[in-house]
Amino acid sequence: MTEILASLLLLFGAGFILIAAIGLLRLPDVLCRSHAVAKASTLGIFSVLLGLWVELGVAAAGLKIVLAILFQVATIPAAAHLVSLLAKQKNLPRWHEPAPPGPPAE
Amino acid sequence: MIPLALSICFGALTLAVLLGLVRLFKGPTVLDRILAFDLIATSIVGMIALLSVKWRTPLYLELVLLFSLLGFVGTVAFVFHLHKAMPARGALPASDAAAPAEPPPS
Repeated sequence: MTEILASLLLLFGAGFILIAAIGLLRLPDVLCRSHAVAKASTLGIFSVLLGLWVELGVAAAGLKIVLAILFQVATIPAAAHLVSLLAKQKNLPRWHEPAPPGPPAE
Repeated sequence: MIPLALSICFGALTLAVLLGLVRLFKGPTVLDRILAFDLIATSIVGMIALLSVKWRTPLYLELVLLFSLLGFVGTVAFVFHLHKAMPARGALPASDAAAPAEPPPS
């Protein structure tokens, strides 16, 4: 039971980190990429460390994993926020929605 | 169940690192490269957690804390350096990664 729960948490987390990487590669500008990296990678690493905690057990791992989880959850969004603040301040090129090709249907 | 999940998770994180490396090489601005660095650091923390699950030891938790701290401090140091060193767009052409290559007059 514990093994199944830990496996599901690990798969969920690794999948979300992969989704963050795909978003980093495919989104069009710095602000969109920092959006993808901040949210998806935070959820992914949170879930992976939670899976590690479930697998090792509370007695073996103790509260150090909780410290690692809290640190990651606090710092990854802060770093992405700093990056997007710098991008806004330096007026980097931003993506605009392209105009629709023709007049709307109605 | 655990070894299969571990293999899939290692594959997903390796793919995430490769996609981050693609963005690291392509990235049009230096901030994209910083975001790619952040994502690669997160993936490496996830890989350390997966190794800790594989060998069932809590000894790698210090390594998790250390790598997450290094990733955060690296990102913050880059941002605070670029806050002064990076020219704002509009004063210079859009290739903002290259600093102006004029040595100061001596």
